[in-house]
Amino acid sequence: MIFWVVAVALTLCASLAVLLPLTGRSREVAAAADHDLEVYRDQLAELDRDVARGAIPLAEAEQARAEIGRRIIRIGRSEKNEAQLTTSATGRLVRRVSAAAVLAVPLVSWGLYAGIGSPDLPSQPLAARLQKNPAQSTVDELVARAESHLAANPNDGRGWDVLAPIYVRMQRYSDAAAAYRHAIRLLGSTAARQSGLGEALANAAQGMVTADAQAAFEVARSLDPANPKANFYLALALAQEGRKDDAKAAWQAMFAELPSSSPWRQVVAQALAQTGENQAGDAGKMEPTGEAAADAAASMSEEDRNAMIETMVAGLDERLRNDPLDEDGWMKLMRSYLVLGRKEQAEGALKRGVEAFGGESEQARKLAAFGESLGLSLKE
Amino acid sequence: MIEIGHFALVLAFALALVQATVPLVGTRIGDERMMASAGTVAVACFALTALSFAVLASAYALSDFSVANVWENSHSLKPMLYKITGTWGNHEGSMLLWVLILTFFGSLVAVFGGNLPASLKANVLAVQGMIGAVFLLFVLITSNPFVRLDPAPIEGRDLNPVLQDIGLAVHPPLLYLGYVGFSVCFSFAVAALIDGRIDAAWARWVRPWTLVAWVFLTGGIAMGSYWAYYELGWGGFWFWDPVENASFMPWLSGTALLHSAIVMEKRSALKIWTLLLSILTFSLSLLGTFLVRSGVLTSVHAFASDPSRGVFILCILVLFIGGSLALFALRASALTPGGLFQPISREGALVLNNLFLTTATATILVGTLYPLVVEAFSQDKISVGAPFFNLTFAPLMVPLLILVPFGPLLAWKRGDALAAAQRLMAAFALALLAVLITYLFIDGASVLAALGAGLGFWLIFGALTDLAVKSGAGSASLATMAKRFAGLPRSMFGTALAHLGLGLTVLGIVGTLGFGAEKILAMRPGETVEIADHTLRFDGIYPVRGPNYTESRGRFYLLDAAGNPKAEISSAKRLFPVRQTTTTEAGIRTMGFSQLYISLGDETTDGGTVVRIWWKPLVTLIWGGALVMMLGGAMSLADRRLRVGAPGRRRKPAEAATAGAT
Repeated sequence: MIFWVVAVALTLCASLAVLLPLTGRSREVAAAADHDLEVYRDQLAELDRDVARGAIPLAEAEQARAEIGRRIIRIGRSEKNEAQLTTSATGRLVRRVSAAAVLAVPLVSWGLYAGIGSPDLPSQPLAARLQKNPAQSTVDELVARAESHLAANPNDGRGWDVLAPIYVRMQRYSDAAAAYRHAIRLLGSTAARQSGLGEALANAAQGMVTADAQAAFEVARSLDPANPKANFYLALALAQEGRKDDAKAAWQAMFAELPSSSPWRQVVAQALAQTGENQAGDAGKMEPTGEAAADAAASMSEEDRNAMIETMVAGLDERLRNDPLDEDGWMKLMRSYLVLGRKEQAEGALKRGVEAFGGESEQARKLAAFGESLGLSLKE
Repeated sequence: MIEIGHFALVLAFALALVQATVPLVGTRIGDERMMASAGTVAVACFALTALSFAVLASAYALSDFSVANVWENSHSLKPMLYKITGTWGNHEGSMLLWVLILTFFGSLVAVFGGNLPASLKANVLAVQGMIGAVFLLFVLITSNPFVRLDPAPIEGRDLNPVLQDIGLAVHPPLLYLGYVGFSVCFSFAVAALIDGRIDAAWARWVRPWTLVAWVFLTGGIAMGSYWAYYELGWGGFWFWDPVENASFMPWLSGTALLHSAIVMEKRSALKIWTLLLSILTFSLSLLGTFLVRSGVLTSVHAFASDPSRGVFILCILVLFIGGSLALFALRASALTPGGLFQPISREGALVLNNLFLTTATATILVGTLYPLVVEAFSQDKISVGAPFFNLTFAPLMVPLLILVPFGPLLAWKRGDALAAAQRLMAAFALALLAVLITYLFIDGASVLAALGAGLGFWLIFGALTDLAVKSGAGSASLATMAKRFAGLPRSMFGTALAHLGLGLTVLGIVGTLGFGAEKILAMRPGETVEIADHTLRFDGIYPVRGPNYTESRGRFYLLDAAGNPKAEISSAKRLFPVRQTTTTEAGIRTMGFSQLYISLGDETTDGGTVVRIWWKPLVTLIWGGALVMMLGGAMSLADRRLRVGAPGRRRKPAEAATAGAT
């Protein structure tokens, strides 16, 4: 809306810039000859200054003066041919051209802009986008937000832990591997993290289970011998080494042990089918068929989104514990808890906020009013 | 509000169309109101373009990645300065800057052109409007910086790291102020051709505009050269790169234009020269824009190449160069001849100067375009490099530089070369002394280098002789001389300073090329190296973290005679992860006018680092000289002669008559 108002105002100003001089009273302007005369007069004055300073000999100055004089005489002669007549015919022409010019400004500009502009797109400065309510943010924005949070707090293991699988899904495998490593460093090694790391590394290497990846899967299997991801990829590694029979045996053993509800059953069955077909061929070329590849292209699930929001909210909560005098922070925290459907905690946040500022303070009253508008009550 | 900027740009285009047509009709039928509309429209057009540019710059500052241009060339972690300079660090933004400066000059003519005859002013602004309209259309159609992305990406792709430097803040704006400044001279020339006459006001007012553009172009080229020197890490200050040539050609022809405009103003001679040079200079600016922007040449400057843009610019080129030359062919015969002069005179000297400069321009043009022609017809890729230019350009420049001190000492109309030579005896003797001292005491290895140093001093002392002679040296007492010196018009100081600056630049070039030293070696921490009487100790490589890059910084200590460190020099290689690009940050230590230049190479397998060290004597004079030239230009602009008022309107005829009588 503002855009249209400004656009109309600008068009109006531009049209006026054309219209005003054209409709003003016709002023007498100096003839070109007057301008020339002015220049010559100044040249004579300069000559006088030069003579006074002794910069040029008198004879030379006289010569120059005579030359300028001749030029002045020449103007007088040509001036007579210059008179312009304004007849009624030219008057009409002036009016027509003026009207066309004034009309051309809005027509050309709005016409061209309609073709190339995108008037409905608002501007999106990065800072504002990162301040938005997380529930309305896109996945990219959430990730960027998490990244900027982690850049400032690189020791937030939980943040890395949440972000890592999301990176895998976004196919940012080297970022995912780095995130898993941070999570392992900060929160300790688990089968899920190690197998995730292995998966990220393998995908970063275009599906090849590299030595790094294999090491990670082996750690995962030592922590949890039944970890399907680790078992699957270790078998794949065997296949890629050319030990197809061993791979097949491993997959068959795995298939037998997997519960019937496991999504891995289908993946393993597919892998088995492929090894059967390619018996003669090179199984090393087999595409990775793991979970990551299966839904890599799919967008982030609702679950992931909530997990991300939760880490963010937890981060905010933590920050407010250390630095409670942040009115906006408290409001944001209340709203976030409500988005996650945790009214209890939202009310808790309201209470903590009010306490932080002191019950009678201006800010506390504001917070209470804000809470009320969200349907939260301040329980004593 | 990105779209407001976009809309303002479209509106500026509509106004440029009006500016290109209405005043022209006005001058044909003699209607003052239509002529006067050019001024307000030009100012409004500038205001809208400026608004548009401000919006784009703010999109960069705020990292608004919904603008495709920002997404492609910015990154949220970049320091704020580089976010803003990134606005013109890419094709679209730099074209917008080009148009902004064009409309800026248009509005300057509108505001300060009160002393121009109304029809001349209207014609100049109309031509300016045509250029503006065509370039605005080019920006809007083929290189629109306001193309949007929806949904907007969250992070940008970062600016080319080589461009993340303070040089980007200064070099393109200065260069464009120069390039585009010559559009005013072009518009003056075309306006005169449209009217079929050149009046005294034309002759007077084309010079200051030339001077403004020339001052900026000088600064832009010098800045670009210094930037390449410290950023590219090759230690060179001029590479005869086609893009450098593209900026150097308008400078040479602009210099010729500047000189013939002086003759034009004083003696109303050399009209054809001035007109042609005005057209030529801006045509070369356009050609430079075409060569750089079309991607015909691939270099750091071709941020992006796209054939449709090339074809569009080629059409612009043909339209303006062809159009103006055709107009010239039609109208040149109608121009009244100007004052006569003898071959040996100030005018004659300036004609000679023009001949040398235009020939030099032509040489560079051939060297720049020849590879393109060869490639177009035979698929062979050849490059014309420094050897060609050293063989052709230098022999043309040396005689010109020898003659420079004579020019200002010759009288108008009929000069006395012998008298001028006598006055220059002292300067000649001093220059000869410089040659001898250089040859005998500094470096006897190269006679040519010693002579080159002599040439530099000849120019410097020649410029000083000019000032001394004009203050009456030899015939007047010291006190009168001082008085006269103080009373000299500023344009005379301007001339002398510009020529002196040229001498300084020559001295810098000769010093660097003739007396420099270079060492390339692998160094391990703790090792020392000697270069040109300086001892350097390599301390080691240290990692440093910047806002959007990581750096391996090599630390060197300059040792004094006793072997104690007296200064630290650090030279680094930076890795920008977003684009996976490395840049070099040369370590430079200035001592007097000379510099010690260290650039880091790759690491060797045995733990050493390849280090290139140059000793560059007097190297800063190259750019210092350019600064002095700029100062000379600025002095000349401040001359009182350029403050002539407008006639008529403010004074009634009767008053004017009495004023004339008194």
